[in-house]
Amino acid sequence: MSDFRQSQNEAHPNKTNTLMTGIIFLLILFVTIQIWFLFGTLNNALQENLNFAITTAVGSLVFAFASFWLMKYLPEPIKRKMKK
Amino acid sequence: MSKDPNSEIPKWKQDFPIEQKEATHVSRREFAKFLTLLSGALAVGNTAIVVKSLAFPEKPLEGEHAICMESEVREGDSFMFEIEGSKTIPYLLINLGNGEWRAFEQKCTHLSCAVKYRHDLGQIECPCHKGYFNPRTGDVIQGPPPRRLPQLEVVIREGQVFVKAQQS
Ligand code: FES
Repeated sequence: MSDFRQSQNEAHPNKTNTLMTGIIFLLILFVTIQIWFLFGTLNNALQENLNFAITTAVGSLVFAFASFWLMKYLPEPIKRKMKK
Repeated sequence: MSKDPNSEIPKWKQDFPIEQKEATHVSRREFAKFLTLLSGALAVGNTAIVVKSLAFPEKPLEGEHAICMESEVREGDSFMFEIEGSKTIPYLLINLGNGEWRAFEQKCTHLSCAVKYRHDLGQIECPCHKGYFNPRTGDVIQGPPPRRLPQLEVVIREGQVFVKAQQS
């Protein structure tokens, strides 16, 4: 028996592809910004610049939560069927 | 065992594929999960820096430290010394002439190379990437260093040179 999800997937096979690409794209964006933050903090916070460190730490945490939250939308793996 | 062709490959078996093509195949799901973990790790690292600098603030140098006799360092010369604290920091004592003395941290603010005083140029030079500092203030004149050199105050008493933390 086919349900709504299955018929949707069959009608638009590109959907999960696009979703996946979008998620990976966003994740790479997040990680890049975080690396940038970390680099700046290492450079700056060595010298009494605590405010900068705190700001980037908060920003970095927000991005981390955002990426964990994105995992919710990760498409299910395509189930491999046993070969005949 | 049932021969139902539609039954899934059991979970334990999915990780041990028979064909090499499948074995080397990292799914995009796994890649996305890896990126998420990386993102978490970066956040943890960033937070650790804040925690560290809050929990263990760097203490300014306390008291005066005798370095050497005034007569030991000629005009235009410099003298390297270390002060033991929570960590040992190398410093550079400079006799600029006319009774002007300066003491700076010897670590370049760029990538921690040892800087040296060039009296012929009247500048402190970092040989690694040609960074130059003002020998009076420690300000960056040229090159990649992002910050000025940390400075100590020099006091001369009875022919002896002392350093202490700079009052700001
Ligand atoms: S380490 Fe001094 S200029 Fe690069």
